Amino acid sequence: MNEASTSSGYLMILLVCIYAAIIATVCYKVIVQKKRQILTSAIVYHVLVIGGLFMILPFYWMAITAFKSLQEAIAFPPSWIPTEWRWQNFLDAWNAPPGDLTFGRYFFVSIVTAVASTAGTLATAALAAYAFAKMRFIGKGLFFYLVLAMMMVPGQVLLIPNYIILQTLNWINTYQALIVPWLASVFCIFLMRQFFMTIPDDLWDAAQIDGSGRFRYLIMVILPLSKPVLITSGIFTFLASWNSLLWPLIVTNSPHMRTLMVGLQNFTEEAGSKYHLLMAASTFAIIPVIILFFFLQRFFIQGIARTGLKD
Amino acid sequence: MNHLASRKKKHLKENLEAFAYLAPAGIILLVFWFLPVVLSVYVSLTNWKGADTLDMVRFVGLRNYLWAFRDEYFIKSLLNTFNYVIVSVPTTLVVALIIAMLLNAKIKCAHIFRTVYFLPFVTTWVAISIVWKYFYHREFGLANHLLMNYLHLGGLNWLSEPRGIVEMLLAPLGIDIGSPLLAGPSLAMVSIILTTVWRDIGFCMIIFLAGLQNIDRSYYEAAEIDGASWLQKFRHITFPLLSPVTFFLLIISMINAFKVFVPILIMTPTGGPDNTTSTMVFYLYEKGFRGLWLLGYAAAIAYILFVIIMLLTIIQNVILGRRVHYEA
Repeated sequence: MNEASTSSGYLMILLVCIYAAIIATVCYKVIVQKKRQILTSAIVYHVLVIGGLFMILPFYWMAITAFKSLQEAIAFPPSWIPTEWRWQNFLDAWNAPPGDLTFGRYFFVSIVTAVASTAGTLATAALAAYAFAKMRFIGKGLFFYLVLAMMMVPGQVLLIPNYIILQTLNWINTYQALIVPWLASVFCIFLMRQFFMTIPDDLWDAAQIDGSGRFRYLIMVILPLSKPVLITSGIFTFLASWNSLLWPLIVTNSPHMRTLMVGLQNFTEEAGSKYHLLMAASTFAIIPVIILFFFLQRFFIQGIARTGLKD
Repeated sequence: MNHLASRKKKHLKENLEAFAYLAPAGIILLVFWFLPVVLSVYVSLTNWKGADTLDMVRFVGLRNYLWAFRDEYFIKSLLNTFNYVIVSVPTTLVVALIIAMLLNAKIKCAHIFRTVYFLPFVTTWVAISIVWKYFYHREFGLANHLLMNYLHLGGLNWLSEPRGIVEMLLAPLGIDIGSPLLAGPSLAMVSIILTTVWRDIGFCMIIFLAGLQNIDRSYYEAAEIDGASWLQKFRHITFPLLSPVTFFLLIISMINAFKVFVPILIMTPTGGPDNTTSTMVFYLYEKGFRGLWLLGYAAAIAYILFVIIMLLTIIQNVILGRRVHYEA
């Protein structure tokens, strides 16, 4: 028995004791104090905790395997806690890409792509949504219907013709190819338009009296009032760009233009069964998104909840 | 008269201004969305390959489409996709609804559970697919460790098992299923489905939870006074009032399920054992962007996918849409 498994043994005994105490309390309340509803909530908690452990398990497994040695990562039966904590794995994985490339380059390409397309999408969507929500023009209904229809078209249909268009423009392997086609989002236009419609027109009348033009009004009044919807749209666009695989896989083929996702996908092919390094690479690919999520959790959840409910 | 002219002028100005606001998004959508939808039809009717240009390709009519329906690998990918959708969508929705209802009961730490269940959804597909691939590894994966050393069952081949799940379940009973249609998704596909269910539960749960919180508590209070059981409350209050939300989730989950690609490519890079995990988008990628670069053929596959998704949306809207209960 080594040190790690002895300490995990003590931890297990402690957890079992705590659990037994909780169960004893529940039994006491149900049998002696006759509080039946405690039993129901005990079952609810059990289901939720067991389910929750199942949700966490893959993350735990990824994180601990990232520290294991290759031998330990491919040993059977596997160990629940690494016998040695190899921080070196993260460095090895970081430097694994071919030539003088590192995962740093992939991160850089991904960040440039995601930030540029998020900023661009928010700008174009806010302008278009403003026109749809607050202005009168010829063909408004038709244009809006076209935008809605576009939401139903699966991206895969656009893939091949867009590839051909980019090839004609000689944009393969450039940042333009990764960014420009995604500078407009029908989903964001729709989301923002719905929100802008709820802003009362009295504000516009007041702004006009103060001598404000439409653009100034949009920037100074509408956008500050629309922070939640802007953040939600921003998160969705950023995540879609960060997580996309098929599009960057197709429009880039040089290792220098790989996004993080394409880099990881390539790494799975090159690394073979070096699962400790694969898990280390997966860990540093997942961590930025998880950090982003914890900071913006409220907007994530509100944004998603809002998309499911009609206004 | 003067007044009318000035109003007309103002109207013209508003029109011009509106189009200026629409232009940035409009140009991008025109070039990279509307044009491709039309161009896609044309490409699917040609023998376009790899780096061909417009003058090099030949118009072949409907040959790509006819070829698709005689291509046994395409038919197989169609079947795999349907298997995937039929199993993954209801599983995700049912599990998500159960968790949402548990979280909606008055419990402590609900927000912690909510975060935990939602976490998989925000993580990156590529990275977690790698994790699950390792999890399912035949020789040293955690899945087999749990089965063999904790539950004392035999290990499974997971991602390299081509046999259908129904076939595998019925085999010990001595029932042999002849038709591949009834064999169900292969265990390899089921493994991928478990991964996608694990990831998507959080998304559906959040939307269900928002829907549940929108239901007025007074309905339940009235039902409790009448002595309604838990099941009756679910059957007569929760389910009908939640149906718009369920319907919305059903449609978008199905549409997304038809487009599944990333976990397939990462977990089974060659289309799985016996091609049982090759879905439509995966097959499109294989034909269009690997090997022979048959862009024309791939465009035809994309269009077939498009039509299926369109038909689904329309059928669901017409048939289910009418029955869905909407709050007044």
